[in-house]
Amino acid sequence: MTAIDTGPVRHLYVHVPFCAHKCEYCAFYSEAAQGELVNRYVAALVRELELVAADLRPRTIYFGGGTPSLLNLRQWETILAALARLNVSGADEWTVECNPATVSPDKAQLLRAAGVNRVSMGVQSLDESLLDRLGRIHSREQVFRSFDILRRAGFANVNLDLMFAIPGQTMAVWQATLREALALGSEHLSSYEVIYEEDTPLFEQLRAGRCDVNEDLACAMFEELVATAEAAGFRQYEIANFARHHGLAGAEVPDRACRHNVNYWRGGSFYGLGPSATSYVRGVRTKNWANTPLYCEQLEKGRRAIESTEELPPLGRAGEIAAFGLRMNAGWPFAEFECVTGFDLRGEWAGDMAWLGRQGLGRIAADRFQLTPRGLRFADLAAERFLRP
Amino acid sequence: MDTAHIRNFSIIAHIDHGKTTLSDRLLHRTGTISDRDMQEQLLDSMDLERERGITIKAHPVTMRYVARNGETFELNLIDTPGHVDFAYEVSRSLSACEGALLIVDAAQGVEAQTVANVHLAMKHDLAIIPVINKIDLPHANVPQTKQQLEEILAIPADMAILASAKEGIGIDEILEAIVARIPAPKPTGVAGLQASCFDSFFDTYKGVVTHVRIFNGELRPGMAVKLLYSGKSFEVKEVGSFNPKPYARERLEVGETGYFTANIKSPKDVKMGDTVTDNRTPAPALPGFQEIHPMVFSGLYPINTADYEHLKASLAKLQLNDSAFVYQAESSVALGFGFRCGFLGLLHLEIVQERLRREYAMDIIATYPSVVYKVRLSDGELKEIDNPAFLPEVTFIAEIHEPMVKTFIICPNEYIGDMMALISEKRGNLDHTETLDARRVMLTALVPLNEILIDFHDRIKSLTRGYGSMDYEHAGYRASDMVKLDILVNGEPVDAFSCIVHRDKAEGRGRALAAKLKEVIPRQQFAIAIQAAIGGKIVARETVSAFRKDVTAKCYGGDISRKRKLLEKQKEGKKRMKSIGAVNIPQEAFIEVLKA
Repeated sequence: MTAIDTGPVRHLYVHVPFCAHKCEYCAFYSEAAQGELVNRYVAALVRELELVAADLRPRTIYFGGGTPSLLNLRQWETILAALARLNVSGADEWTVECNPATVSPDKAQLLRAAGVNRVSMGVQSLDESLLDRLGRIHSREQVFRSFDILRRAGFANVNLDLMFAIPGQTMAVWQATLREALALGSEHLSSYEVIYEEDTPLFEQLRAGRCDVNEDLACAMFEELVATAEAAGFRQYEIANFARHHGLAGAEVPDRACRHNVNYWRGGSFYGLGPSATSYVRGVRTKNWANTPLYCEQLEKGRRAIESTEELPPLGRAGEIAAFGLRMNAGWPFAEFECVTGFDLRGEWAGDMAWLGRQGLGRIAADRFQLTPRGLRFADLAAERFLRP
Repeated sequence: MDTAHIRNFSIIAHIDHGKTTLSDRLLHRTGTISDRDMQEQLLDSMDLERERGITIKAHPVTMRYVARNGETFELNLIDTPGHVDFAYEVSRSLSACEGALLIVDAAQGVEAQTVANVHLAMKHDLAIIPVINKIDLPHANVPQTKQQLEEILAIPADMAILASAKEGIGIDEILEAIVARIPAPKPTGVAGLQASCFDSFFDTYKGVVTHVRIFNGELRPGMAVKLLYSGKSFEVKEVGSFNPKPYARERLEVGETGYFTANIKSPKDVKMGDTVTDNRTPAPALPGFQEIHPMVFSGLYPINTADYEHLKASLAKLQLNDSAFVYQAESSVALGFGFRCGFLGLLHLEIVQERLRREYAMDIIATYPSVVYKVRLSDGELKEIDNPAFLPEVTFIAEIHEPMVKTFIICPNEYIGDMMALISEKRGNLDHTETLDARRVMLTALVPLNEILIDFHDRIKSLTRGYGSMDYEHAGYRASDMVKLDILVNGEPVDAFSCIVHRDKAEGRGRALAAKLKEVIPRQQFAIAIQAAIGGKIVARETVSAFRKDVTAKCYGGDISRKRKLLEKQKEGKKRMKSIGAVNIPQEAFIEVLKA
């Protein structure tokens, strides 16, 4: 592997597979929290941490889910203590995802004191009826209250997750949600169009014809998002991600971009712990069992709970890294790409870049290739072209 | 065997009237095959033949039959392809016979195909033995079937043998009738060998195995023979008959039927209907030879251009056992390199395509089938056009002639109106109608071949709820006002979609085609214009709207692998499409336009 990827792994993801209630759109692995299973999970997670700690010196940590904020104080204490004992805490960027209904001042203070410095809050909407439609357990009031709690606990870096093109959502409702959310003054904004994933209630509704997709409206909402966020001082750095920037104008990504996620798009190594979590370490991708009891059982026997392993040939891996890196506004600087993958983008992919250029979807600059704003809308098409067997 | 004890006959019947079951019965009754070998549909050896219940390749089978008078006869059953597409093969097979069994289903009565085949048999002066089959069925109507035999086919009804091949009824009577009513072969009286080739197949070890009927002299291994039309000479290696498996014999004598091999490497050297004679003292040719002319042409292209060589090899192999199938390399702007293929008819085309897909695992695109037009240019030159792409500019054309067929449609009385409307929709002229019995009529009409290519038969079936049947004979050419219809995708003409149609139908067809393509061409990131044009004038337009985005927003570390696999699958799917300019056209589009 290349220079960047030698030495201990710099990024850690922890999956917390519990939710109070499964949302209508969610295809992530999670289950309803039952007290005993959660404790068993916490113990297994600590065991898994112990197994990989020697190869881990994280600059970023990300607790996602599920609903990490659903863990109680005692469970958090156990995990945080283990991180400290194994010398893997103290990352530069340490994010925990929170549901606005499960943020308490105690929990916020505990996390902050342990070194967590970023919170990602799953707001999704500020319209009560839409929150209901999505099966979210929180109310709009809870969003404002939780945001306040986080700020008072000292979190100076907060992300808000918003959804658009929700069945029943009008442009006016979307504009109101955007305006109110931005008014909170968060440092980061992630916003996604509703995805109808198979095996979700929402998908079933779509198939049964109980809701439908209005592509034109979805596009207009996305345009509204980009314009409104930029007017509020955010810089888009990935298809669905916006962050504030205070530093130099020419920076690759804004200061408040989520470093952890940037690492994914740049093809960097990371450990993913917890049920169903994916790791990608020096070119080898592994996926844990998406079944919490099974996951626990494996770790109780002292081995990692890996369900599958995938290792692409060098060109295939480079193609994948190229494809997903293009989701970022900065595109791929040729030098960086070569450093990460060992391949020159201008060699193998010259035809694809030229084709995208001709279609008005890509731009070939002296030092990089990047998608145009229109190209970002067709990032899947671009990605498809860059993939290699 | 002396000629007085040889009988050569074939069986003609409509599909499902029981030809195959009766053949198997005859083989069984004469002891040619044992109980154990009594496999259903013994003579149709290709899977496709069995599935479709039709015979494509003709197999002659030799049986020994001890008649009631105690004498032993050699009965040669020369099976014939049952479909009109193979009319020339049928006529070659019939010319090798002195008689024919005509099977009519007692419940269904005379069908269109029966009429066409009886006409052919009569042309060859065959003794016809009518067999009314399936008399055991509860709804069998023997008196009515007899009446139809007399009225439609002019065959004396008291000649008919009542039978049930399934139940074994009437089999002995049929065998006795073959001996008694079918004349023994008569030598032509010329000096030396005269034999007619009526089919062939390719054997990897022996080369071409040619089916022959000896009309004069005899054929032995070691003889030097000459094929009169191809002009080639060969040394005979082996002669034999079928039972129904091939077995070698010492000689084939006058009047007999069998096969010979002669290390013939190319099936093209053996033309159907050719005459085999002694190389040293050639006898005159037997009458009736024709070069086979394909009636329907279609371009076959590999979906994946890399499969071109594979397709070429597959076509060559296929041709070894199907000498009526012709092909030559061509190229299309839209589809790249492929082959222009000629077929005897639409069924033949379907069979070849199906065999390529099944037996050779080829993914192919077939272009809209075309008949052969005779085009007279302004300067008097005459051209035959089988590919719309080569139709000269309108300004150079004086006149276009299109092939016609005489079609027989038999249907229940209440559908006469529907059939007449269909005939007129298909630009046909009703010649006359005949009443067959209390409930059925036969319509005879002159219809352009081009019009019956695609869905004529299906339409008859659906309009008559399955009771109608149809057959046809070729009936020369007629001057018609034909034009070329082009389809443009984003301004680029897609030659594979072009067709030659009658002017009155061009606009309607253009609209239907454009609408169909709009359904099957997937949306892309730009709008796609589909236009139909006649001589540069746009007559229809449809637009496949652009999709405005394709990206699903969320994609983090855990999503990458799944997402990549999804994209890989999409990419694979696009590879199976043909790109015309920047537009991806799926394989189905090429199939759907056939139905538009």
